[in-house]
Amino acid sequence: MRFFGFILVVLLGQAAGAWAAPPAAKRLLVVGSTTVLPVVTLAAEAFSLRSGGEVSITVNPGGSGVGVNSVGTGRASIGMVSREIAPEEGRRFAKARLKVHVIGHDRVACVVSSAVYKAGVKALSREEIQAIYLGTIRNWKDVGGPDREILVVDKERHRGTRHEFMKYVFGDATARAPAARLVTGSNNEEQAKIAASDAAIGMLSMGWINEDVAGVGLREGGEVFFPESAHYPIVRRLSLVTAGEPEGLAREFIDFLLGPEGQRIVKKLGYQPAVRAPEVR
Amino acid sequence: MLFKPRSIAVFFRILVTALALTATGLIVLFFLFLVKESVPVFQAEGARFLTGGDWWVGESYGAGPMIFGSAVVTLLALAMVLPFALAGAVVASEFLSPRLRWAMKSLMELFAGVPGIIYGLLGVGVLAPAVKDFFGLIDGNTLLTAALLLGLMVFPTILTLADDALHAVPGKYRDQAQGLGLSRLETVRAVVLPQARAGLLGAVFLGLGRAMGETIAVMLVIGGRDQVPSPWYNLFAPGQSIPSKLGREAAEAVGAGLHWNALLGLGLVLFLMVLGVTVAGQLFLNKGRAT
Amino acid sequence: MKRGLVEKAAMAVLGIMAGMGVLVLVLILAEVFLRGGGALDAGFFLEESRDFGAAGGVRYQITGTLLLMVGAAALGLPLALAGALFQTEYLKSPGLKRGLRLLIYSLNGVPTILFGLLGYLFFGIYLGAGVSWLTGVLILAIMILPTIQVSVQEAIEALPENYREAGGALGLSRWQEIRSIVLPHSFFGIVTGTLLGLARAAGETAAILFTATAFSGARFPASFGDPVPTLQTHILVLAQEAVNPRAIEAAWGAGCVLLILVFSLIAASLFFRSRLSMEFDR
Repeated sequence: MRFFGFILVVLLGQAAGAWAAPPAAKRLLVVGSTTVLPVVTLAAEAFSLRSGGEVSITVNPGGSGVGVNSVGTGRASIGMVSREIAPEEGRRFAKARLKVHVIGHDRVACVVSSAVYKAGVKALSREEIQAIYLGTIRNWKDVGGPDREILVVDKERHRGTRHEFMKYVFGDATARAPAARLVTGSNNEEQAKIAASDAAIGMLSMGWINEDVAGVGLREGGEVFFPESAHYPIVRRLSLVTAGEPEGLAREFIDFLLGPEGQRIVKKLGYQPAVRAPEVR
Repeated sequence: MLFKPRSIAVFFRILVTALALTATGLIVLFFLFLVKESVPVFQAEGARFLTGGDWWVGESYGAGPMIFGSAVVTLLALAMVLPFALAGAVVASEFLSPRLRWAMKSLMELFAGVPGIIYGLLGVGVLAPAVKDFFGLIDGNTLLTAALLLGLMVFPTILTLADDALHAVPGKYRDQAQGLGLSRLETVRAVVLPQARAGLLGAVFLGLGRAMGETIAVMLVIGGRDQVPSPWYNLFAPGQSIPSKLGREAAEAVGAGLHWNALLGLGLVLFLMVLGVTVAGQLFLNKGRAT
Repeated sequence: MKRGLVEKAAMAVLGIMAGMGVLVLVLILAEVFLRGGGALDAGFFLEESRDFGAAGGVRYQITGTLLLMVGAAALGLPLALAGALFQTEYLKSPGLKRGLRLLIYSLNGVPTILFGLLGYLFFGIYLGAGVSWLTGVLILAIMILPTIQVSVQEAIEALPENYREAGGALGLSRWQEIRSIVLPHSFFGIVTGTLLGLARAAGETAAILFTATAFSGARFPASFGDPVPTLQTHILVLAQEAVNPRAIEAAWGAGCVLLILVFSLIAASLFFRSRLSMEFDR
C-alpha cells in the first residue's frame, strides 16, 4: 500500500510539473528592485501595447536581492537591480552567468520628514548622518533642527538603496545601523513611514522625494550638494540582470528599454539615462 | 461484466488508501524537508543559532531576538486577552439563554475566520497610530502594538473553545452545587471551572499556537528590528517575531545558500514551538471532553 | 443580603468584561466597512487595478482569490474525504488511528508561512511549478486539508450506530455501505468542512505571498504557470506601501470585499452545520 502511495505522489508531481511548464515565448516575469520597477512597469505597458497585446510582462516587486536571486535560481527571466551585484551573489550564482544591462542612473537621497526640513535641517554632513545611524546623535536639535527625538528608519539589508547609501556614509555597503528603529523594505514603504512621521530620517531613491519627504543636501567640506545638483555624490546604476545573454522576448524588451522610447520613460520618472551625457544645466 | 461490484469495492479501497497515504506522506515529507534543510545552519552556528543576538546575512545568524519577540508578543497577547475571553466564555456558557448563546457563538466563529491581513490593515491604519498618539511615542510600530493586535485576533478562538469546555461539564454537578445552597456564580467558581480545567487549558494553548504562527498582521506592525530591546522589558520598542522575519526575508533567500538554511532553521524552531503548544492543547481538549 | 450584592457586583464585572471584549472586536471590524464602504461601487468590482492601486478596481484580484480558493478546495476535498474514510472505515488499529488523528490536528496548527516556504520548495522548485497559481493551489490544498477532514470525520463518527447495523444486516460490503449510508448521511458535514476550508483559503496571505501571486501585470491566468493577483496580497502591498489616499481607500475597499466573502462562507457553513445536527436529532 505504502509503495502505491509513493508511486502516486511521484506521478502527481510529474503531472503537476508538466502542466506548469509555461509556453514561454510570449511571456516574461520581471522581479526585483522597487526603484527600477516604475520604469519597467511603464515600459512593459508600452511594449505590450506596441506588440498588439500579444505578449504579457508580469512585474513583481521584492528588492534588488530578490531580483538577483530570482534570476540566479531561474525563477524569473529578468531581474531588476538598483545596485552592483555583490561578490557573494556572483559566487553563489556563478552557474547562471549573470549579465548586467544598465538602463539608467539614479541618485540616492538622504531624506527627512518635511516637518524637520521646514524647521531648518536643510543639509547634513556625512559625520552627522553616521552619528545618527550609530545612535550618538539622538535629537534633531543637535543638528540644527527642532527639539525632537529622531526616528531612524533603516532598510532591509539586501536593498539596493541601502547598499549605495551605506557605501557613501560608512564606506561599507553592508554597514550596520544600531540606532535604527524601523526597518522597511521598498521605497514606497520607507516613503510612507517617513511621510507619516514628523521626526524621521531615511534613505530613498530620488524619484520618491515629494512634498512630505524632503531630500537634504550633503555637506562636504564647505560645499553642499543637493540631490538635484549635477555633482551629487551618491549616484548608482539601475540595471536589469539576465542569466547569460538574453534571447527572444527578453532581448527585445531590453532593447526597447535602451531605445529612445524606453529612455524617455527613464527620464520622465526623474532618473538619468543609461548613457550619461556630460551634464549641462 | 468487466466491473463486478467486488472489483469496484477493491478499487475504491485502494483509491481511498492511496489518497490518504498521499496526504500523510506529503505532510511527513514536509517535516523531513524542514529538518534536512535547516541542518547546515546548525552545523555552522551551533547553539549560537538559538542564543545569538546578531542576525546579519553573510556574517552571522543568531535567532535570539526573533525567538524573544515571538515569545513576548504571544504571551503578552494572551495575558491581555485571557480575562476578557474567559469572562465571555463564562457568561455565554452559564448565563445566556440557549438562543443567545448560539448567537454569540456564531458571531465568534465568524470573527475567528477574519483573515490576518484584515487585522494587518487595521493595525497599520488604526492601531499603530493610536498606540503612537496614546503613549506619546515617536513611532507606533512596537512589540506592544503587535501583542494588542494578536490579542484581538485570538479572542474569538479562545472564547469559543473555553465556552465548549465549560459547557461540557455535566449539568448534574451544577444541580448538586446549587442544591447545597451555592449561588450560580459560586457554582461556577467552585465546581464548573475546576471541572473544566483541562478543556480551558486546551483553549489557552490552542489560542497561543494560533498567535505564535500569525505572520502578516504581526509583520505589518512589529517594526522589523532584529534586536532584543534594551531594557528587555521595554514593550514600546520595535522588535521582530519569527514568522514576521520569514515573511520579510524568504523571497530574498529562496533556495540558495546559508541564508536560506538559516531561515528554515527559524522555521523549524517556530514549528517545534507551535507543535508543542498545539499538541498539548489538543491533548488537554480531548481530556476535557472525556471527563 | 450582602452576599446577594457581591454576587450581583461580580456578575456585573463579568458581564462588562465579556461585553467589552465583544464590543471592541465588533467596533474594530466595523471600521473596515466604514473606511472601505465608500470605495465599493460597480467599477470597483469590474475594473482592473491601475496606477499602483489608486485607480480602477480589483476585478482580477477577486478572480485570483476565487481561483486559488476553489482550486484548493477541489484538490483538498478528495484528499480529506479519503483521509476521513480511511481512518473511520478501513483502518483497524486504534494506535494508528490516534496517531493519524494527532497528525491531522497538529497539521492544523502549523503556521501558514511554513506551508508557503516548504510548499514552494517542493512544488515550486523541486517539481518546477514556479511562482504560479498552481503552486498556490497545491499549497493551500494541503493547508486546508485538516479543516475539511476534521469536519467530515466528525460527521461520520457522529453517524448513529444503528444506521451501520442496518447496512450490515443487508449484507452490504464496505464500499456499498460507504456509498449508500456513510456518504449520504455525512453530506452536510462534508459541505460544512468544504465551506470552512474555502473560507480559510480565501483569507490566507502568508502562504501565497511569494509563491503564487503578482502585484501588477498579471490578470486572469492563461496557463497553470502564471501567477495571479489576489485580494489578500493586494491589501498587503497597499497597506505596507501606499501613500496616495485613493490607494489606501482601495485597500480598505478590498478588505471589505474579502471580509464579505469570508463571512458569507462561514455563515453558510454555520447554516449547514445546524442542518447536520437536525439530521441526527430526528
